[in-house]
Amino acid sequence: MKKILMLFQYTEVNQMNKTFRIVFIGLLVSQALALYTIESMIPVPFIAPGAKLGLANLITVIALYTLNSKKDVFLIIILRLLLSTMFGGSLSTFMYGVAGAILSYLVMICVKELGQDKVSIIGVSASGALFHNVGQLIVASAIVQNIAIMLYLPILSIAGVGTGIFVGITANFIVKHLSKLPYFRDVNINEDVTK
Amino acid sequence: MFKKWDIIIIVLLICLSFIPELIFGVMMHKNYDGTYAEITLDGKPYKKILLSEHRGEEQIDVKTEYGYNVIELKDASIRIIDADCRDAICIKSGFISKPGQLLVCLPHKLMVEIKSNNNEKNIDVIPVH
Repeated sequence: MKKILMLFQYTEVNQMNKTFRIVFIGLLVSQALALYTIESMIPVPFIAPGAKLGLANLITVIALYTLNSKKDVFLIIILRLLLSTMFGGSLSTFMYGVAGAILSYLVMICVKELGQDKVSIIGVSASGALFHNVGQLIVASAIVQNIAIMLYLPILSIAGVGTGIFVGITANFIVKHLSKLPYFRDVNINEDVTK
Repeated sequence: MFKKWDIIIIVLLICLSFIPELIFGVMMHKNYDGTYAEITLDGKPYKKILLSEHRGEEQIDVKTEYGYNVIELKDASIRIIDADCRDAICIKSGFISKPGQLLVCLPHKLMVEIKSNNNEKNIDVIPVH
């Protein structure tokens, strides 16, 4: 009897997790899209054309720190890219976005796994922002077939690291408060964040 | 909030982002959007001098069977300051620095021409991005 009850509880928890996962992914994707839309209303805030605030990266960072499965983070990125292209983008922005987002995703995972508790969210998001620029520039130089576009990297990377730091600080606060929710008890963030 | 390794990573990444700049600087040092002066004697190339990166003063003596010319480089411009030809037209031409300009000393069959590396482009057209 006890076993059955335990099994029932387990399946219930599992079911809840499944629903929760779907809802949470949906929430994150919709938040990313909202941020993308707001961001596209802001005129380019820097001297460097092509530099953006990268607010959508905030969602990727949060997903990376709250979701246990790396596949789900990837799913969020792909969904966000596809939907944002439908909302107000062209094929070229999609191509830039895919290259940048996937490269920054891989780099953020590397930094997070290698750094463990040595690196905080800020470092992860700054490196992600920088490699987003690298990916975009690689695509841009492939389109124009001129590798000299990479010379633009320092300007973009300084802007990217600047916004990446602020995105990291924001994500730090969000994850800190999310970890208060019972669902995120086992959130895999650094200790000093929860303090 | 910030950790030591965050700052290390950020500084490292910014430094890494200058790598393309360095690679291009080394690779394209000689032909990166610059102008150069080509000295030809009797139609044959004699010497190539990078002008756009040239700083300071320098003199080049060119001696041929017809006579001699002294070419002076001053920063990014070039002129002939002395020659033993009759009319000294090349000396009167003064400094040249723009692509397409010429210094000619006909009696000595010497020619100094300024060329640009991106000579396909018309220099009068401002590229629109």
